Amino acid sequence: MVDLVNRPPVASGAPAPAAAGGPTRPARRRRHPLVAARPWLLLGPALAVLAVLLLWPLVRVVLFSLQDYGLREIVSGEPNWIGLANYGEVFTDPTLYTVVLPNTVGFAVLAVAGTVALGTGVAVLMASLGPLWRTIVGSAIMVAWAMPAVTGTYVWIWIFDADRGIVNSTLQALGLQDDPVNWFTNRWTFYGIVLLNVIHHGFPFVAITILAGLLGVPKEMLEAAEVDGAGPWRRFFSIIVPSLRQVFAVVIILSTIWDFKVFAQVYLMPGGAGTNREALNLGVWSYVESFGQNRYGFGSAIAVLLTLVLLAITVVYVRTLLKEEEEL
Amino acid sequence: MSRRTRLAAFKAVLVALLLAFTLFPAFWMLSSAFDARAGSAGKGLLPQEFSLENFEYVLTEGGFDVFLRNSATVALVTVLASAVLALLASVAVARFRFRFRTAMLLMILIVQMVPLEALVIPLFVQVRDLQMLNTLLGLIIVYVALSLPFGIWMLRGFVAAVPKELEEAAYLDGASWGRMFRSVLLPLVMPGLVATSVFSFITAWNEFIFAMTLLGGATENYTVAIGLKQFFGEHSNDWGAIMAASTIITVPVMVFFVLVQRKLASGLVAGAVKG
Repeated sequence: MVDLVNRPPVASGAPAPAAAGGPTRPARRRRHPLVAARPWLLLGPALAVLAVLLLWPLVRVVLFSLQDYGLREIVSGEPNWIGLANYGEVFTDPTLYTVVLPNTVGFAVLAVAGTVALGTGVAVLMASLGPLWRTIVGSAIMVAWAMPAVTGTYVWIWIFDADRGIVNSTLQALGLQDDPVNWFTNRWTFYGIVLLNVIHHGFPFVAITILAGLLGVPKEMLEAAEVDGAGPWRRFFSIIVPSLRQVFAVVIILSTIWDFKVFAQVYLMPGGAGTNREALNLGVWSYVESFGQNRYGFGSAIAVLLTLVLLAITVVYVRTLLKEEEEL
Repeated sequence: MSRRTRLAAFKAVLVALLLAFTLFPAFWMLSSAFDARAGSAGKGLLPQEFSLENFEYVLTEGGFDVFLRNSATVALVTVLASAVLALLASVAVARFRFRFRTAMLLMILIVQMVPLEALVIPLFVQVRDLQMLNTLLGLIIVYVALSLPFGIWMLRGFVAAVPKELEEAAYLDGASWGRMFRSVLLPLVMPGLVATSVFSFITAWNEFIFAMTLLGGATENYTVAIGLKQFFGEHSNDWGAIMAASTIITVPVMVFFVLVQRKLASGLVAGAVKG
């Protein structure tokens, strides 16, 4: 199943074995101008869409970031260059260092660690279960995975709601707190809820992927290690982890990319749309400055920085993939 | 207690905890959606008063009948357009060797990672210049572009998996390239095309940031993802309605998701998992 999707096209480049003595290729395959142009004809429409709607906007966001670009510039279309002033402002803004970077980088580190740890644990647990329970657990985590980010976030907000949420009412019923707590005003509990939300949504992908890898580790190797007296922990870290290094690398990198750009999970929370400045992360800051304050140039500068960070992680990801497949 | 039963008991506890953690949000959503008094204090685990009232309200006065229609339109058009474009492009990169092919693939891979927050500013300006703010068409065009890179990336694998010999056989039988494409390649790639289409359907159905930005003022054109905002009041939120609407949004996604999940997972890891 897994292999079916992305089997590298090994055979497609190699010439077909030539029949003895006969012409090596059917006459039809002679290079004809139309044949040479065919890949480009096929690729053309998609390429045009990508160029106009993804590549040109990427160039434009960089251009905007070098301007004092506000509503006036949007309406008139006139450029208003100010050089690197927006970047200067970003890097001298104390919000960046006290709020935004910790909320982005610190959060991503915790979220990736939590997602990968939980996902690996669940994968190991699932691998040890019988077929019936493995299916039950697999379906349950599928439910968590399939929950859209928007509705999932609203459910978590409802669970932690200040007035009537089940967390507050349970804690009060147990006598652990006297008055309902507003979990969303404090920066730590705010991001605690985001963390719970993101891990809950993100661990199923890790679990399913690592489970697929686990089931591929040769049984003989594990049995041999057991015969040699290696305990379960030793077997896990000395055999399973090394043979799944590639899988772990991909899972960690993809999770990092996703957790760096959480947007809806923060923006939709009470106070997350800019009213609570303590809750800003890079993506939300960029959006709020652009569409809340009409400072599109400044917002673009923040967006460019976020993109550069993600691009750096992506380069690592692509190199990991390339190591596995000799050619794309 | 023997070592074996202790281990089994330990595992049973872990499974129970895992199921509770995984399923609680979905359970809580359903339980609140079917509860006529979901918003009252001290709501228990099960609905106090089981009813469909919240759903009725959401689908009539809440305007979700319109939002559902908008979302379905946007998602279906997006799926059709991106399926055609992605299929043609994936045949090009999987079946032909040409200059810049690897560069093209790398670009497609990298462009997927660009954060939407960076694209939303220039695309807002672009859609505004085209006078398509507040229209579904503007949103559809953006969604087609967003779902293309992943679609090409995934379909490429499916196309490459079709044995080349089948194509050669078709040529030997005198078929033209177009005939071969229709009668050999297309039927064999169909399962992959369905999986990819479901994925772009989910993307378009769930997308939030562009819908919010591009549809800003036009409530009648809202998609379901931003229509939820309707039920948030100044001082109190109508949680029963919010959860009923969330249920309506989530169910189609879950159905589709179960259908394609295997292919989705393997598409993302792209060859890293090898049995």
